[in-house]
Amino acid sequence: MTTHGSEPHIPSPHEPIELTLARLLRIGSFIAAVLIAAGIGTMLLGKETAATRLITAGLLALLATPIMRVIAAGLIFVREKDWRFACFCLVVICSLAAGIYLGQTHG
Amino acid sequence: MLVQTLEIFLIAISAGVFGSMLGLGGGIIIVPVLTLLFNVPMQTAVAASTVSIIATSTGAAVAFLRDRLTNTRVAIWLEMGTSTGALSGALIAGYLDQRFLYILFGLLLTYSGYNMFKTRKNELPEGVVPDRLSQKLQLQGSYTDRQLGKKIDYQVTGTIPGLIVMYFSGIAAGLLGIGAGIFKVPAMDQIMRIPFKASTATSNFMIGVTAASGAVVYFARGDVKPMIAGPVVLGVLLGAILGAKLMVRLKSSTIRKLFIPIIIYTAFEMIYRGLK
Repeated sequence: MTTHGSEPHIPSPHEPIELTLARLLRIGSFIAAVLIAAGIGTMLLGKETAATRLITAGLLALLATPIMRVIAAGLIFVREKDWRFACFCLVVICSLAAGIYLGQTHG
Repeated sequence: MLVQTLEIFLIAISAGVFGSMLGLGGGIIIVPVLTLLFNVPMQTAVAASTVSIIATSTGAAVAFLRDRLTNTRVAIWLEMGTSTGALSGALIAGYLDQRFLYILFGLLLTYSGYNMFKTRKNELPEGVVPDRLSQKLQLQGSYTDRQLGKKIDYQVTGTIPGLIVMYFSGIAAGLLGIGAGIFKVPAMDQIMRIPFKASTATSNFMIGVTAASGAVVYFARGDVKPMIAGPVVLGVLLGAILGAKLMVRLKSSTIRKLFIPIIIYTAFEMIYRGLK
């Protein structure tokens, strides 16, 4: 291919970021769904304490997923040496952390 | 108890379907249903709704990412605005008159609802000239539209104005606990001129992150009640997976037509809250 004028694009040796993030989100939502469903099932059996624990674990797994997603995206950009977008991810992670800290101490 | 769990579960499925198709959190359905129909306290309902936003986002994003409908670079660029905005919102809470904010954001939504109505027949934006920053950050995208049966390449403009609007949408989320997607979709559609389907998919991707920081706080305060939030989240997750499958087969103009009544309703509700 010797076409001139096309934008310079070096194909990445790794899979596209979308596929990696999709896999991460799928695993996160799968774990959350299984734990919550198991929790609701346990509730039907009348074991309320175990049910509450299972559901809470599922909700926490779900909660962690988007945070992991930002961290994963940041790491992928570092690997691709896309420093600008790695910095953008860092800004997001820092404001999330600050927001959580503030919300817990002042909320 | 069992019947109630099943009812909450079924309503949550429909909230997940609509939320994922429109790039919204679905709080517009979940909160009134839980408080009015099931007599759940407001705090518990809002906490369950916030956790369910993550479910909408995560459940639908898998399909949207695979179809390349989600523009991850645009999402990360704009997340800087929403996350710092939410942080500012939390910091200035208490110093600002909430009524004034409700009216301000309500008017803003009325205006974007009107713009959306004007462009309701447009399937794809035309003649978009990317600004320099958008080119530098390589924000352009392409996806295969299953409905139109062709590959859509698009350019992105309004990179800085888009970020500023996202900052304010983050403030709205941090201060008022609203606006998961209702501000994000119009900003990407009207300011950045991103195809409507890519706008809702990218909004869907972003709302999970904003909701996560809020959800952590609700968890710490003990507002997340597993017996309420559990069935809501499971239903929304299932609904979101279904909604995403449905959405990729719809026309952009159809999704836009579904969005218009919701944005108008939210605008009036916010103005009403500000005036009351």
